[in-house]
Amino acid sequence: MSYTIPIGPYHPALEEPCKVQVICEGETVQDVALSVQYNFRGVEWLAERRNYQQAVALVERVCGICSNVHTLTFCTAVERLAGLTVSERAQYIRTIVVELERLASHALWAGIAAEVMGFQTLFMTCFALREQLMDLLENLSGNRVHYGMNCIGGVTRDLADPKAVLTVARSVRQAVSDRLIPLFANDETVRARCAGTGILTRELALAWGAVGPTARASGLSEDIRRTSPYAAYAKLDFEVPVETAGDVFARVVVRLLEMVQSCRIIEQAVDAVPPGPIHGPDFVEVPRGEAVARSEAPRGELFYYVASDGTDVPCRVKIRTPSFVNIPIVRPMMIGANLADVALINASVDPCYSCTSR
Amino acid sequence: MDKIEQILISIGPGKSWEQKAEGRWLEDPGLDVEKMAGVMIEAGARLVTVSASSLDTGEFRLIYHWDVEGSLLNCATLTSQGALPSIARICPAADWIELEIHDYYAVNFTGRDLPPLMLNEHDPAGIFSRKFQRKPKAGGRP
Repeated sequence: MSYTIPIGPYHPALEEPCKVQVICEGETVQDVALSVQYNFRGVEWLAERRNYQQAVALVERVCGICSNVHTLTFCTAVERLAGLTVSERAQYIRTIVVELERLASHALWAGIAAEVMGFQTLFMTCFALREQLMDLLENLSGNRVHYGMNCIGGVTRDLADPKAVLTVARSVRQAVSDRLIPLFANDETVRARCAGTGILTRELALAWGAVGPTARASGLSEDIRRTSPYAAYAKLDFEVPVETAGDVFARVVVRLLEMVQSCRIIEQAVDAVPPGPIHGPDFVEVPRGEAVARSEAPRGELFYYVASDGTDVPCRVKIRTPSFVNIPIVRPMMIGANLADVALINASVDPCYSCTSR
Repeated sequence: MDKIEQILISIGPGKSWEQKAEGRWLEDPGLDVEKMAGVMIEAGARLVTVSASSLDTGEFRLIYHWDVEGSLLNCATLTSQGALPSIARICPAADWIELEIHDYYAVNFTGRDLPPLMLNEHDPAGIFSRKFQRKPKAGGRP
């Protein structure tokens, strides 16, 4: 006999509002229905009623975790429209902050995944690591969440203390390599919960348009930092970790290896930051036209389309977040899985409902 | 001939693609979107998203953004009487994208159901096309 279990929209296992209706036959999931509209704020509509400077502050509020990459991508699209060249120094600072944000996001995700697995010690280890990153971001930007670092034409703050950035990057790299990776990779509980669970094949990942670590854990190698470099990525040496198993464990491995690469990127960028201005003119004229920009956010490719009619208010702002394409893919991942693995499979794509609903 | 050149020829020989910093752009008001989706899927392209915007004519301009080995192909077309064929059957990635555009602009993607994605069950579609009026402040001039 089949039965339906409604999870959410408000549920202790899911900190953000989302409703997952699980249809089961015994303990086996037969089908899943997702509802994600609970955070809809009409950010795109609002952005088309704010001037470009105001829209930067607005798009930063799309997400509380990857806020910086939203402003970076929006500013990049507007800079393309306006034909602005961003200084080298600003490009390096953007790269450093966006990689720190990726580290904080992945540490948060690893902690939540550990908690879902019932591994409280690992959860505390991840969050202690994340705290170092949050403190550093606060020192750099003045804020722990919405950093306000990007502006059209550059960045709002200079890199005040490069040595502190290097110290934290080295410390995090060591902690991830020496503690997190061995803990996640060798622990029997983690393997038992994650290996072979929530499999997404390469073909399904491509057909559903999966992005980021979710896609790279299924054998797709695309990383926007490599395929369409922006900021200072073209000048920096890093690897793109790819796994082929397509299960939850592969997604864990990809994110942990990405943390090591992020530290490498930050260390190189801090060493290479050139002198120069950090932003361009205070007022920018945006001519009529349209442009797109893509970035590799912590959860995958972030896409902005901006159209201008020549006024100081954009006439169209389209935001496609990585979670918008990764969340629907949990349905094929969950079908056939054990009911007890539903929360873990859902967590494995690092879903952000705030980004999805906008 | 590389994969992108093959796609450009298959979608429509003789059509002019504009090269910009962020990829190639095709403007074709009568684009056969089902054929385009078939060609793209066959070539292993990934549907990034579809950007919709409303026009003064009452129609909508839709840009299908595809990623082919890291390069962007942007195919713009127009709706006819507010409708376009759905490509969700050929390309599962288009499923939520079409639902969201229907919610925002009430574009009718033919050949599929269009339940609300971002709106509540009984909310009318086309929330971005509605005319909102600012309420006058209490005690202020109308």
